[in-house]
Amino acid sequence: CTEEILQEEPRGVFTPDFFQTELGVQGGLTYLYENLRYLYGQPYYYNSLETGTDEYTYAQSADNNFKNADLSGVGNIISDTYTTSVAWNTVFPAINTASGIIENAAAVGIDASVVAEAKFFRAFNYFLLVQQYGGVPLDLGSGELVFNSSAVRTSIRNTVPEVYTKGIFPDLVAAINELPDSPRLTGTATKNVARLHLAKAYLTYAWWLENPNGIPTYPETPRTDPDGKDALYYFQQAYTIAMDGINNPGPYSLQEYFYDVHVGSNDRHSEMMLYADRTEESPIYNGASLGWSGTGGSANTAVWMVTSNYTTIKVDDVAAVQREADQSLGRPWTRMAPSINVFEETFAEKDLDSRYDGTFVSSYRGNWDKGGNSTPSLTAANGMQITPGDAVISFLDDYDATVDYSVNGGNLGGGEVAGRSDYVINLNEINRRFYPGLWKLGTYRTDNEGGLGQPNGAITRPFPIAKFSEFYFIAAEAYVKGATGGQTAYQLINVIRGRAGKWRYDNGEKSERMEDNSAAMIAATPLVVDLDFILAERSREYFGEGYRWLDLVRTQKWAEYAASYKIASNDASDHSPTTTNRTIEKFHYLRPIPQSQIDDLDMSDDEKSAYQNPGY
Amino acid sequence: NIKVSGTVTDANGIPIPGVSVIIQNTSTGATSDLDGKYTINVSSNGSLEFHSLGYLTKTIPVNGRTSINVQLEEDTQQLDEIVVVGYGTQRKESVTGSVVSIKAEDLQEVQTANFQQALQGRAAGVNISTTSTRPGAAPQIRIRGVRSLSGNNDPLIVLNGIPFSGGLSDINSNDIASLDILKDASATAIYGSRGANGVIIITTKAGKKGQKAKFSYNTYYAAKEVFSKYPMMNGAQLTQLRADVAANNGGTPIYDLGGDEDLANDTDWQDLLFGTGIQTTHDISVQGGSENGTYNIGMGYFKETSVVPGDAFERYSIRAQVDQEVGTLFRFGLNSVMNFNKTSSIVGINGVLSASPLLSPYDANGDFLESVRLQTEADDSWIPTRNEISRVGNGKKNEQLDYGSYNNIYGEVKIPWVDGLKFRLNLGLNFRTSRDGSFTGKGVFNYNPNNNSSASYNSSITKDYVIENQLLFDRTFADKHQVNFVGLFSSQQTKYDNVGLGVQNIPNETSLWYNLDAALSEDITSYGTGFSASGLLSYMARVMYQYDNRYLFTATLRSDGSSRLAPGHKWVTYPAMSLGWNIKNEKFMEDVNVVNQLKLRVGYGETSNQAVSPYSTQGRLSTRNYNFGSNFSTGYFVSQLPNPNLGWEFSETFNYGLDFGLFDNRLSGTVEYYVTKTSDILYGLGLPATSGVSSVTSNIGKTQNKGFELSLNGTIIDNPDGITWDVGVNLYTNKNEIIALATGEERNVGQLWFVGSPVNVIYDYQNIGLWNDTDSDYQYLQDFEPGGNVGMVKVKYTGDYNADGSPTRQINADDRIVQDPTPDFQGGFNTRLAYKDFDVSMVGTFQSGGTIISTLHSSNGYVNLLTGRRNNVDVDYWTPNNTGAKYPAPGGIQSGDNPKYGSTLGFFDGSYLKVRTITAGYNFNQPFVKDFGFDKLRVYATVQNPFVLFSPFNKESGLDPETNSGVNSNGSRQNVSVNTSNISKGIPTVGANAPSTRNFMIGLNLTF
Repeated sequence: CTEEILQEEPRGVFTPDFFQTELGVQGGLTYLYENLRYLYGQPYYYNSLETGTDEYTYAQSADNNFKNADLSGVGNIISDTYTTSVAWNTVFPAINTASGIIENAAAVGIDASVVAEAKFFRAFNYFLLVQQYGGVPLDLGSGELVFNSSAVRTSIRNTVPEVYTKGIFPDLVAAINELPDSPRLTGTATKNVARLHLAKAYLTYAWWLENPNGIPTYPETPRTDPDGKDALYYFQQAYTIAMDGINNPGPYSLQEYFYDVHVGSNDRHSEMMLYADRTEESPIYNGASLGWSGTGGSANTAVWMVTSNYTTIKVDDVAAVQREADQSLGRPWTRMAPSINVFEETFAEKDLDSRYDGTFVSSYRGNWDKGGNSTPSLTAANGMQITPGDAVISFLDDYDATVDYSVNGGNLGGGEVAGRSDYVINLNEINRRFYPGLWKLGTYRTDNEGGLGQPNGAITRPFPIAKFSEFYFIAAEAYVKGATGGQTAYQLINVIRGRAGKWRYDNGEKSERMEDNSAAMIAATPLVVDLDFILAERSREYFGEGYRWLDLVRTQKWAEYAASYKIASNDASDHSPTTTNRTIEKFHYLRPIPQSQIDDLDMSDDEKSAYQNPGY
Repeated sequence: NIKVSGTVTDANGIPIPGVSVIIQNTSTGATSDLDGKYTINVSSNGSLEFHSLGYLTKTIPVNGRTSINVQLEEDTQQLDEIVVVGYGTQRKESVTGSVVSIKAEDLQEVQTANFQQALQGRAAGVNISTTSTRPGAAPQIRIRGVRSLSGNNDPLIVLNGIPFSGGLSDINSNDIASLDILKDASATAIYGSRGANGVIIITTKAGKKGQKAKFSYNTYYAAKEVFSKYPMMNGAQLTQLRADVAANNGGTPIYDLGGDEDLANDTDWQDLLFGTGIQTTHDISVQGGSENGTYNIGMGYFKETSVVPGDAFERYSIRAQVDQEVGTLFRFGLNSVMNFNKTSSIVGINGVLSASPLLSPYDANGDFLESVRLQTEADDSWIPTRNEISRVGNGKKNEQLDYGSYNNIYGEVKIPWVDGLKFRLNLGLNFRTSRDGSFTGKGVFNYNPNNNSSASYNSSITKDYVIENQLLFDRTFADKHQVNFVGLFSSQQTKYDNVGLGVQNIPNETSLWYNLDAALSEDITSYGTGFSASGLLSYMARVMYQYDNRYLFTATLRSDGSSRLAPGHKWVTYPAMSLGWNIKNEKFMEDVNVVNQLKLRVGYGETSNQAVSPYSTQGRLSTRNYNFGSNFSTGYFVSQLPNPNLGWEFSETFNYGLDFGLFDNRLSGTVEYYVTKTSDILYGLGLPATSGVSSVTSNIGKTQNKGFELSLNGTIIDNPDGITWDVGVNLYTNKNEIIALATGEERNVGQLWFVGSPVNVIYDYQNIGLWNDTDSDYQYLQDFEPGGNVGMVKVKYTGDYNADGSPTRQINADDRIVQDPTPDFQGGFNTRLAYKDFDVSMVGTFQSGGTIISTLHSSNGYVNLLTGRRNNVDVDYWTPNNTGAKYPAPGGIQSGDNPKYGSTLGFFDGSYLKVRTITAGYNFNQPFVKDFGFDKLRVYATVQNPFVLFSPFNKESGLDPETNSGVNSNGSRQNVSVNTSNISKGIPTVGANAPSTRNFMIGLNLTF
């Protein structure tokens, strides 16, 4: 009972000292990967990158998070809009931790190839910020690119070229040099992962320098490169690095079929270069419940937003399509809907190209047997019988003028056509209430045991961040913008299109389909590939994966592509689409700095308002 | 001189031992023995004085008699007058600090599971609010408001002299002899930093010296009925709501009749869940004393269930008190309280509130469904019913066991060569262990029949010890100078550790949580152990001096050293001082007969608060779990920076008081005013996101509390043979304000702290009605609210206007306004009417103004969605024919799943007056009672929570305006993106918790 009881010995918790040990530094690296989960699969961040583009609009159950993002007069993006704050509020601790690892690693004897992962992530996170918010601070409080250990409450934003040339390029160049060819652990960063991001960063920076549509930057700065290089130089760099990546693939390769890129049983395949991993094997390491999850934090629930509420399908007074932990079904939130333009324009070709089929859920199939209802068959369209596994409501690949919607099939607006037992809906007559789901990101579980499984747990699949296929797109885009080299944009894009023509399975029909339409796909490629074609091709390849807003902002095509869209109302039986216009202004190309950041600053009101991006 | 002998008895003729018989004007005397007999030699014309604690002193002239039998009258006044002030007692007349004393009889007027509820409305400045209506849950106590921003604002509880670390439901309120509440810093200073938020001193019942063994038995039984069901819609109303949604939504309902709904059904799900709760107790005790010692041992049993099946709290308690003098110098004792609690709760009530009345729990044959799994158009739900809960049986089980043992062992020695000096060693040893087991079978209480089974086992141990070395001096010099000194050195340490494991997929469901290892290791859902330790060293000295009962002075100096603070900042010393002037005892007041007591008090004191959790100064490395494919790994990152300068939080209090007694003390009371300023407040300073670290614990900011308190007690009719009528009222205010936060920080929106506003606020848009097309600014609706509609909630716009009267911007976050939910004043009242052996008493509380927050009506509860998706609170909503409604047009503009600005719908005028209990009792005094050997036999009947008056909230909803939830419990935040962070965490709310009840109780007290 002396002064000894006044000394603290922490046992139940870690204090920052531990971060200076070898295990602490290694744990820091793990954190850098884990932190990806708070963005990739996080539904509101996902929404901020999809809703309001030409891919998605808000759906019937949308709240203001989704309506605000649509910029169509039902809301607006302002400084305390939650969805646009997610990235800002997520990445700085990772940037700081990366700096800490880089500083502490040498003292505890961590190999340079491992430290290079931290360099990769610091650049990765800065790249993510600069694309969304413009210039961001390189000094977090203890100096430029230095681990911050001070309780500083001021902040100064660097300019966009400073962020690229100091915060992104040097780290990625070092990462390419120091990272191993093959990953240290499943899904960790490699030389080629760093190449892909450096190529993309060069490409994005080149566009910024060029600024073809006069989009303002902030903090204001001339569109000149500190190294005196021009846009073309960086387009060429992007092309060169991307071609390096293609020619030195390491363990990465394209999958033979587009279907295999997204089928749940094939996750973590050779084409996936970076992803935010999850697991069905342990709820603790999955970071979310396997049984029932909310949509916050690190849970992968993005696909719920784009899944319409199919569970209200009723046939013969039976809930015919029940909530199931299946890649085509899963938990429905009905927050985001694809526009009709997606199916009429982007995915106009649905027969040769396997990507429409490998992206969407085009038929909702009966599973009442798994839900415990032993009725062998139900009377569906045209009085015909369907059995479990049969389509209950399908979206038609080809427009059929004879669809009779008056039957309100499945109680969800399905129509009848002669000779079909399933109810059908034309893709150009969809509404915000019922529309094709996004199969590619859907639930995949191995523990259903023949039943409905656990459809309410967060998705246990890795969420894709970067794929080997993107090298081809980056090189092709750089080529279109003037870069030169061994392969033309036409050749590069055709690698992707050729693969897209190869079928092994028909996802809509749920049946084997061995078919190679590569030649026809290539034949349909215009000889002169332009930016519009590349952007359309990117949408076909990466639809609904959170690429679109960034792609349209990089190329300054957002206002043009997303100016209007078609879809019918919130009512399931409404099949008369209308056109909605969006108001996308130049200042929208930068996200607002979150109000919480500004509130936490100890700076004058003038300094605070100067910290915010113009327009917000 | 002659030899006089006799017997001293009380009013009932029972001998009183230990009475001092003193010859007047001398120091010579004798003491009565166990049979009340005394013998003394006295001059035949002298007088004898008979003194005994608790009795009025009687002086009798000898007049030559040799046998004098004396009957002493009980001095009820004097018993009340003893106040426990910590490390000693004082006569009330001598107290200079702000102390409220509450006796057992008063506490027992409201029979509850814990003393806090019994205390509600009893003491000015002491605010008790219910934060959960589950049995066994303890309410929140705030003495003179909150001062700490993120630290603890709970008062220190001292049980029999030792700081109490147990659960607040561990103490059987029937064991309590007195509660003394120290409110101002001059009174709490002796407890130092732990007393910064006020001190509640609990003294358990003890025997009396020389008392014959007495056996007591107290019991009651209460039936609890729902005070008022939650006002949900019935089938027809929900159907109408959906039709009205459609009308506002282009003719299409957002949610239509679907799933298992049928218009033929009209189910009141609350009726199918709620039953009758009970509350019962049995307490027995034996107490007594010898010439040199006292003892009291007792046992108690308490059980409470709520109206929600599966909610239960049971407590078994044992109390032992022994105090023994050995020789003339030594004294030893033990005070021990032990308890064993069992708590369980298995189902929430959200399910029944949100369940559509158009669903039915019966199958086509009218039999209960095997499991109430029902669909509406949008939701799949499992709905709890009594029938279902009983069918499931052990399929869902929760059992929390707590065992606590709180012991104070002491030894005292009188220092023989200094009159009045004592040394005392106090040893406090407390131990509490807790175990929580929880099990849910596969598919149980879940829509999905395949939902994994899950079970968890959590256990913790808290140990703490206190060693106090006290030097006590108490002596009166020259009749007029009373000096009391306490010197203290104490050392205390608390250690806590815990272990927990949660798994899913239990192979054998009958094993509950007892065979977790049978699950696969990959089915572990949580596991962990934890540890924390904190220590406090203290030195303290207090002097109380009074001159001639007129001038009173108390001074305290205390030094505390805390382990929680940074090296170099661990120690702090602070003074406290108070002065009192007993004006009544001045000569010039002698003839003012109307005044019996008049005392002025002034106190000043500093206290400090170590209100941070252990290790805060060292920063924090947080952990995160990740999988690289099937390779599992734990990550670390710095979430909180270390602060090597972290020191104490300080409060300074000025307290001014006036105590008075008038008209033979038939009207007595206290008026007090205080100002408390707290600075260097400890809180987790939020850093901007760009710093890469979320926070650092700092000493920043200032708060202030100012308050006025009034207590009055009056005896309106006083006729010992007829009617006696006593009334007590107390009333208080507290104005709380944040004076400063970190530099440059005028507001902290994340924490809802605003300079110039109270610590606990509402930060939200200001609801000013609904948008109607008759509004003059209706033409600009789309400018104010893009996408808005007629009938939506109208909130106050705080921006600028263009020349044409249109707003320069849409309504946005800048329009949120800080709203103060503090009542204008609060208080309580009690009254007792006695006629012969009958008595009737009543206890109540009231508040005027302020805000009641109902999460049922706001967007937090998900039962006022006004879309027809789920059942809805029955509210008066807007339709084209009902434009004057309070609630918005259903199906209008949404924010999340709720009406836009739905959070503003939960604010109600907080005024109410509530009668908490009415008790009628009868004391049997007939001869047969004595013939049976009973001292006392009393039966009573009580109704608790009979009615509520003057409450706008009650008027609208029928509900009890008293809170039943903390803001985060039962708030049901389904969708994290919905911004529900508009109410400070410290504000209790009315939400979807076990409903408030009206209790009917009968009880019996027996002593022999």
